[in-house]
Amino acid sequence: MGLKSYIESLEPHFTKGGKFEKMYPLYEAIDTGLYSPPSVTNNTAHVRDGIDLKRIMITVWLCCFPAMFFGMWNLGFQANNALDTMGLAGIEGWRGAIISTVAGYDASSIWDNLIFGATYFLPIYAVTFIVGGFWEVLFATIRGHEVNEGFFVTSILFALICPPDIPLWQVALGISFGVVIGKEIFGGTGKNFLNPALTGRAFLFFAYPAQISGDAVWTAVDGFSGATPLGLAALGGVGEIIGSGLTWFDAFSGTIQGSIGETSTIAILLGGSVLLVMGIASWRIVAGVMIGMVSLSTLLNFIGSDTNAMFAMPWYWHLVVGGFAFGMIFMATDPVSSSMTNKGKFFFGALIGVMVVLIRVINPAFPEGMMLAILFSNLFAPLIDHFVVQANIKRRVARNVG
Amino acid sequence: MSTSVKKVLTQPLLLNNPIAVQILGVCSALAVTTSLNVTLVMCMALISVTACSNFAISLIRNHIPGNIRIIVQMTIIASLVIVVDQVLKAYAYEISKQLSVFVGLIITNCIVMGRAEAFAMKNPPGLSFLDGIGNGLGYSVVLIFVAVFRELLGSGSLFGFEILPLVTNGGWYYSNGLLLLPPSAFFIIGLFIWASRTLIPSQVEAADFKIQPNTETSGAH
Amino acid sequence: MSAKNDSIQKTIMVAVLLCLVCSIIVAGAAVSLKPIQVKNKLEDKKKNILAAAGLLVADKSIAEQFKQVTTRIVNLETGQYADEAELEKLAQAGYPVATFDQKKLAKDPKFSEKLSGSEDPASIKRQADYAAVYLVEKEGEVDRIILPVHGYGLWSTLYGFVALQGNAETIAGLGFYSHAETPGLGGEIDNPSWKAMWEGKEVYDDAGKVAIDVIKGKVDPASPKADNQIDGLSGATLTSKGVSNLVQFWLGEQGFAAYLAGFKGQGV
Repeated sequence: MGLKSYIESLEPHFTKGGKFEKMYPLYEAIDTGLYSPPSVTNNTAHVRDGIDLKRIMITVWLCCFPAMFFGMWNLGFQANNALDTMGLAGIEGWRGAIISTVAGYDASSIWDNLIFGATYFLPIYAVTFIVGGFWEVLFATIRGHEVNEGFFVTSILFALICPPDIPLWQVALGISFGVVIGKEIFGGTGKNFLNPALTGRAFLFFAYPAQISGDAVWTAVDGFSGATPLGLAALGGVGEIIGSGLTWFDAFSGTIQGSIGETSTIAILLGGSVLLVMGIASWRIVAGVMIGMVSLSTLLNFIGSDTNAMFAMPWYWHLVVGGFAFGMIFMATDPVSSSMTNKGKFFFGALIGVMVVLIRVINPAFPEGMMLAILFSNLFAPLIDHFVVQANIKRRVARNVG
Repeated sequence: MSTSVKKVLTQPLLLNNPIAVQILGVCSALAVTTSLNVTLVMCMALISVTACSNFAISLIRNHIPGNIRIIVQMTIIASLVIVVDQVLKAYAYEISKQLSVFVGLIITNCIVMGRAEAFAMKNPPGLSFLDGIGNGLGYSVVLIFVAVFRELLGSGSLFGFEILPLVTNGGWYYSNGLLLLPPSAFFIIGLFIWASRTLIPSQVEAADFKIQPNTETSGAH
Repeated sequence: MSAKNDSIQKTIMVAVLLCLVCSIIVAGAAVSLKPIQVKNKLEDKKKNILAAAGLLVADKSIAEQFKQVTTRIVNLETGQYADEAELEKLAQAGYPVATFDQKKLAKDPKFSEKLSGSEDPASIKRQADYAAVYLVEKEGEVDRIILPVHGYGLWSTLYGFVALQGNAETIAGLGFYSHAETPGLGGEIDNPSWKAMWEGKEVYDDAGKVAIDVIKGKVDPASPKADNQIDGLSGATLTSKGVSNLVQFWLGEQGFAAYLAGFKGQGV
């Protein structure tokens, strides 16, 4: 008996009246995860296309891989360099045990860096997946809806925007908040108006600001303090970044401090280009974000300021530091929480681009603004759509009358 | 009579809670719930204002001209609030400093106006007084619920006494900074409403529309 | 509610009566409670002063504890105590020593000066010409000098007191009584363990310049400047900077430097 027919033979236990009726969402998740779903379209609107929700989500997940693997390498690279400067031979605890059995602490060895990074990233990802998945299945079971593949994407995005040195209990709290408050209380995937991964990250940002921002969390070595390029820029503009020995190319390629998956613009764009070509991520949103960011930062460059060095930061620096590229490609283009109309997508994107520069440059309290800018724009997405639709209706009425 | 007294006092606690069901008076819940001491004083201030204003308005309800009735209610409520504010400044200075403008803002608290207009204008003074107390208590239930979470998890203490020793003071508990910021009260009130609607299904309105599924499981594979 | 309620006479009568009754109640409460409120306010200020100097004990009344403190008014420009004529002038303008209100004085164009951008690192905009200082004497010698300070942090103006030891060079304590910084970050300026770091720090470097500074990160105890430095609050760079600026400002040339120099001259 093949696996498919075995799974199908179990189905009666899970459908109405069966022994495990309550567990149906779990059965459904495994069944449709492995084979095509049994449901068929039965109304008039009918699109024949090879791509479905599951394939979309898996593609996004795979497209995170360049950023993820680069992030793990960079995490190890930064940490091994830090160990070197501090004159330490290695780290303690179970991570140290794993690293010393399969690798070493050589910052020039790709393997060593990757293993070091994996011992930090994989626990974060595992906690995200298990805790977030628990809520997902719990709500699906109680509410009787399906476990959505979207969680694959939420979980990896959330894990990638965590700082390397984050305590695992904070990861668990953050993803719980993101999944429950950011998504499930509004009815689950498709009905959330905020990006769940960012909601969870924002929760951590405001709940544990002393631990999650500042200088100590960006390198996975206890007691090592290193600011992110944006943190440096907030103090003295681009000059401060260059003064610390980093070039634009460092920031572009990603060998800088920062959240695990967001440092390398090139790795993000690699995955992002696949998404854009396949039409999964909306090019209109990405274009909108770029237009908004470039125009406002250029405007601020012209205005200038004596007291605020951030005014002089050119757009190509804004692009490569902080979470800008990651947010633009993976977060802003979330199909659920962004604008739905084609014209609205430009406005939605531009709003993000403008807000991120505003927060980074003008707000003194927060050096990074991508997360807040996207969440803010999420709130406006339905309003933007409303005006686009109204404008369309008006135009059509005018055409018919005239 | 006794059943209606009981109803007037207990209904606003959960069944018809002014905050959780009528969504009135939420604004002050955001500002005064970071510590239980302050919250309790605020609750007592609100209970006394609601009860006394209900009583006073009900007393003269047959003489209030219809066209200036809102102004009359406002004047009575505002006077009471000023008196409460003055008393707090005199006898609870520390707490009144923390409450600052929020005592004054009881004037704009929709619960007080709402009860005056909806209940006191139509009912005798005694019952109106109790209705004021009942609604004030309903407000207090939610505020105390919010404040317990915010103070315990945000500052690791209750009534100012340390329960969870903070890391910054050498303990083990990392305080949750979000809970010290006003928006967190929204989340907690939201969770309270969620719990209340789950426990009391009669609070849930009928859905305006139902989304039709656009696929269907035929059963045959 | 009958129709006769809506007649003009009745409407006016109800309105007038209601206003009368309410105003009597409100005025009565305000007047009868005023003395207690004034006392509360003064006591609160005294408590803040004592707390900054580290002299506050729980089991004695504030009034009793404050007896050891003398209030003097200082002319900031000359660094001398205000003389009789000046005190008289201040008292006539409504600023007697007992209820001296520096905040109000700074807004009075007669007794204050506008600061331009470069001379105003603490962003206080206007500075009063006079300030009240509080002295604690022990066995005939000045033991503590408590100075009022204020300046801008990240979101708000911080108001507080700096207490110096009798030598006018060593900090004995610091406390803020009014601010609106982010709880958990900038709000940590109220944390006792952070405030304790100020104790014993030196205000001036060897050359006699104001050198006290809140730095970013932790103070390196081996550094020659360690005596002048205080750890920054993590995650609150701008509040730390604000505290640093305002303390430097008030202890520097534009603040109490001239006044404090008098103490050093005495060789106490």
